[in-house]
Amino acid sequence: MRLLHVFGKTVREMRRERLVLILTVLFAPLFVFMYWLYFNQAPASYKVLVVNRDTPHVTSSGERLAVGDQLIAALRAAGGGSLLTVDLVGSVSTAKLALEDRAAAAALFIPAGFSRAVAGATGDDSAWPVGGPSELVLMGDLTNSAYSVAAVLVSAAADNYVREVTHAPAPIQMIERPLGASGGRTDFETAVPGVLVFAVIMLVFLAAMTIAREVEAGTLRRLQITRMTALDLLGGMSAVLVLVGIASVLLTFATAWALGFHSRGPIWVAILVGAVTAIAIIGCGLIVAACSRSVAQAFVIANFPLGLLMFFSGTVFPIPRATLFTVAGHGISPFDVLPPTHAVLALNKVLTLGEGLHAVLWELAALAVLSALYYAVGVWLFQRLRMRAT
Amino acid sequence: MNDDSSCDAATHEVKSTLAPRVVLRAEGLVKCYGALTAVDELSLDVYEGEILGLLGPNGAGKTTSISMLCGLLKPDAGRVLIRGVPIAAGGADVRSRVGVCPQDVVLWDKLTCGEQLQFIGEMYGLATREARRRANVLLRDMNLEDKSTALAATLSGGMKRRLNLALALVHDPEIVVLDEPEAGLDPQSRVMVRTYIRSLARRKTVIVTTHNMDEADRVADRVAIIDYGKLLVLDTPQALKSSVGAGDVLEIELGAVPGSARDALAFLEGRVTVEWADHELVVRALDALSLLPAVVSALNAAGCRPGAVHVRQNSLEDVFLSLTGRRLRS
Repeated sequence: MRLLHVFGKTVREMRRERLVLILTVLFAPLFVFMYWLYFNQAPASYKVLVVNRDTPHVTSSGERLAVGDQLIAALRAAGGGSLLTVDLVGSVSTAKLALEDRAAAAALFIPAGFSRAVAGATGDDSAWPVGGPSELVLMGDLTNSAYSVAAVLVSAAADNYVREVTHAPAPIQMIERPLGASGGRTDFETAVPGVLVFAVIMLVFLAAMTIAREVEAGTLRRLQITRMTALDLLGGMSAVLVLVGIASVLLTFATAWALGFHSRGPIWVAILVGAVTAIAIIGCGLIVAACSRSVAQAFVIANFPLGLLMFFSGTVFPIPRATLFTVAGHGISPFDVLPPTHAVLALNKVLTLGEGLHAVLWELAALAVLSALYYAVGVWLFQRLRMRAT
Repeated sequence: MNDDSSCDAATHEVKSTLAPRVVLRAEGLVKCYGALTAVDELSLDVYEGEILGLLGPNGAGKTTSISMLCGLLKPDAGRVLIRGVPIAAGGADVRSRVGVCPQDVVLWDKLTCGEQLQFIGEMYGLATREARRRANVLLRDMNLEDKSTALAATLSGGMKRRLNLALALVHDPEIVVLDEPEAGLDPQSRVMVRTYIRSLARRKTVIVTTHNMDEADRVADRVAIIDYGKLLVLDTPQALKSSVGAGDVLEIELGAVPGSARDALAFLEGRVTVEWADHELVVRALDALSLLPAVVSALNAAGCRPGAVHVRQNSLEDVFLSLTGRRLRS
């Protein structure tokens, strides 16, 4: 019977801690709803960029053979026309940039003279002596799971199409070329950038709870009548949290390195990315703290940004980028407002693709802007909700 | 609630009209929480160097009042002036003229006594060396010198209370607001704190809220009694005590009180103050003890058998109860 009394008492207490209860119960349904909103029931589609250098070839029978163009049409029709989104780009460098930004899953290069080579494979005299490039080059980040799927779909579609045209068993060769230094990475090494970002994301709890402790203990009220400003308080606390974040990043790297992880690019750039990301995440923590009256409340509320930052940034699994508009050649997607989106890209470029500082300047700039934004909002909210005489 | 321009104009006007000794002035303070008016048109002046006691039952609006007096709470109407400058418009310069010791013990558990005193001093703008010096002085004054390097979490309840008080004084404020400073203190600490508060009054203005009438009587130069958010009286303890009847108080416990008992004591009317409470008769008179035999005889004759009899000096509690009644506050 006592158990029932404890049950009743706990129910009453929970009903009176309404905000915490509502947030806890709504957490998962809200994320399901957000996933639905974002993916909008559209079938999975993989973006493939094609650089087509092929020129049409006229066969001995006078037929005009444009294999490059027809191959592109075949890719677009693959899987009933929805599996692959095929975009033509003018240069290899443009395609590489998009792959690095994970704006596309794979890039296919169709060489000049490909139509002639295919004609030769059919035994057509016009292509005699048989030769020339019959190789298609498929490029992508081998650590990107979206690439693996896209590569299989492109290879199958291309192979089927050319075999249909030539009736030859293996008329072309599909050569896979890893983007940057993405080849030869172990699963463990592939996972490290995401894990690193995850370690930084967890700072949102520490930041929110550390600041909320001042509110809960009443010490903030004591400080309110001093000369201290919200910026003094949050700036001083954040500086410590950033140091903790950097220590966490360094320790994560050290652990990964000790367990066999090797960065392809300069490690200091990755540490810099981690540090700037930590600042942005702490900014999110400030916003949570401004909305919390107690440490327990801060903990529950912090789960929301945590979920957003983890599941919608590409940290845990790839999120398709729905480009809204373009700035300086970089597509802007809705989840670019989440700092880890840029951190994952930047760390992948450095750690996996072997790029240097110049390649991640865009991401660093985005992280800096977001850090400033979240900080400004956090300080403003804290000033309004917690520091002002009410 | 004033806009800045009206504040400036008012500030100028008030500066020129305020008596020089008024340190803090509350003008028509009102604070409402929904339908509840916690503070209702509170106006009072606090003079330089005095100790003002703020008395009231639980929920009377004492803490809300002092929160507004020190700028922690924004009044819905009215304003607070410190040395003629509105606290709302004066910013940190004006606010930091006040030191507040909250009713609850508010400490940083993971800082030592010395560290938190120094930290709060720095937050008030003291240089680190000066903040450290002030911390050492206060630790000595509060008998916490040997606890300078002890974490606040390890202190006893009384020590925490003393440290709580010290934190309000680090920046050497002109006005010190103490919310129930003796609550939870053992007798030794209580005497120490009381003595310290009295010593402050030579140099500072002190506003102290308390439930302890004896504390208010001993410490305060003037006492304000508030109830339901309204200021009921404001005067010296002596004047307040005189207002409810001079001299001693005779308290006689009674069982059932027949109507004839009141008639039996009619001979006291006009000579002394007689109060009939539940199962108690209270007689106030300059020499109440001399009236005891006559009162007991009259009660016996009326068929009302007296129980325990207490004779004591008139106190602020009598003033308090006469003004606020005996009913518990909801």
